[in-house]
Amino acid sequence: MSGVKGSRTLMTPHLALIAAAVAVAAVPLLTPDRYVLKVLVYVGVNVIVIAGLALLFGHAGQISMGHAAFVGIGAYTSAYLVKTLGAPWLVGAIAATMLAAAGGLVLALPALRLRGHYLAMATLGFNEIMYVVFREARAVTGGNDGLGGIPYPEVAGLRIDTPVGVYLLVWGVALLTLLLVTNILRSRPGRAMRALHATENGALACGIDTVGLKIRTFALSAALAGLAGALYAHGVGFISPTTFGLDQSVIYVAIVVVGGAGSLAGPVLAAVALTLLPYADALVPGLTKETIAVMQDWEADIYGLAMIAVVIFAPAGIGGLLRRASARRAGEVRG
Amino acid sequence: MIFLSVRGLTRRFGGLTAVDAVSFDVHEGSIKAVIGPNGAGKSTLFNLITGFDRADEGSVMFDGASLVGRRPDAIVRAGLARTFQNTELFEDLTALDNVRIAADLGHPGGFLRSAIRFRLAPGERDGAARAVHLLRLAGIDGFADTPARDLPHGTRRLLEIARALATAPRLMLLDEPAAGLNGAETRTLIDALYRIRDEGVTLVVVEHDMGLVMEVAEEIVVLDRGAKIAEGPPLLIQKDRAVIEAYLGEECGDDGC
Repeated sequence: MSGVKGSRTLMTPHLALIAAAVAVAAVPLLTPDRYVLKVLVYVGVNVIVIAGLALLFGHAGQISMGHAAFVGIGAYTSAYLVKTLGAPWLVGAIAATMLAAAGGLVLALPALRLRGHYLAMATLGFNEIMYVVFREARAVTGGNDGLGGIPYPEVAGLRIDTPVGVYLLVWGVALLTLLLVTNILRSRPGRAMRALHATENGALACGIDTVGLKIRTFALSAALAGLAGALYAHGVGFISPTTFGLDQSVIYVAIVVVGGAGSLAGPVLAAVALTLLPYADALVPGLTKETIAVMQDWEADIYGLAMIAVVIFAPAGIGGLLRRASARRAGEVRG
Repeated sequence: MIFLSVRGLTRRFGGLTAVDAVSFDVHEGSIKAVIGPNGAGKSTLFNLITGFDRADEGSVMFDGASLVGRRPDAIVRAGLARTFQNTELFEDLTALDNVRIAADLGHPGGFLRSAIRFRLAPGERDGAARAVHLLRLAGIDGFADTPARDLPHGTRRLLEIARALATAPRLMLLDEPAAGLNGAETRTLIDALYRIRDEGVTLVVVEHDMGLVMEVAEEIVVLDRGAKIAEGPPLLIQKDRAVIEAYLGEECGDDGC
């Protein structure tokens, strides 16, 4: 009985991933439009960040209001190493991932003592500190003016400098990330995270090393944000501090809330939908410039409303709706 | 053989001494009970032994190794499991998954190993099978797919015991396992306790239900206001003057009750 259940629960997300991979591969065949592909690069970058935050916040229950700072650490690290020091892109991306992970380890320390609102405040403070560093460490970051002319990614001598190439690189990494995160969630560490989220005392009574779990989850989550930052910096070519501010961290948290705790598919869908929202003209033809301008001006308010609506009408988020739909389908099959 | 040895264990909260220089031994393969009026320090004593609280003084030796200063999860991994007076279940998860998480203890599976795989590791299947087996042992396998929060009270207590068993303990501390159970449920619990003991798990039980204590315990430790006031087999404890006074107050004077 349990064996059947195990294979079913592992198969479903893998099938969803294969479907996503097909969709990702189909886009450049359907449209060569630069703008559409650029918007989808933003979406792919956010999917990687959200996969990491869904692990940390959605599953392990440890809130981080500082994830934009990790994206920033990754973006500036890779941009500086590659543009200023002339390092290969792969070295920059790996260094970005590792430095962000190190930042995650630092942020895990307050998480060992703080919970809920207090942890939110501590991570929020971390984002503010890093924001000041991004603005003031001009020699590395270019300060408020930002850092431009960041070279395109280059893998094994192959320069990825076309919109389609950048799009495929970002989404290739995003899909790989989703595969690895899915596997973690369906195994022992994922179960330990859900246990920690439910009751820390209960988790301890199961022999779960909650200290090690928090540290590892923070580091992994931050590492994914750093990797996303490196992809963003080289894919877009320009970075400035405002991209990595507190408001962006709040948006990340909002996306996971809208997506639903204890779910990966929900937050990923929310990341896609909410990142596309201000760029809806890329996908929906016939939207006037004025409409888009209004949507971009009211972006934060739309996110806020979405979050309030979810908390009131569907507290389990998109993930909860997906679970209910699949339960209903299973019921129909059986009945 | 002395399996668990508690010596001079003391815990103070401000001016109150919740546990006051308590010492006792638990022999391997036995069932020991800890009783005492409300506020006697029983749960605090359990928290000190299992690492959920830090003792101010005293020592705890388990199978020859000191437990003082070790983290609760490390103590569980050393073979000493516990349940809680107020159950600490994973409410959103099914009964099976609650046990499954504890059964993970015996199987490897870090982040890296879990991330890079394309089919279920053998440990994943073993863990699921073991969880089913333990639900059956506790007599609650009919509830395998029910979320913990929807379970009847008695089943919740048995589920927490099954979860503790899944960590493959050699000693188990049960904090009021019969609290809130009806007669039939208590009977099921008593049978389960004997089965568990017969599988080679030593038991220490904090309990208010005197019927259960007198039936299952081979030895009883009595606490009152943090201190041990008596220790011995049930028949002697029932007649112990200090124990009767602790439970009935000052009504028993020099001229009897």
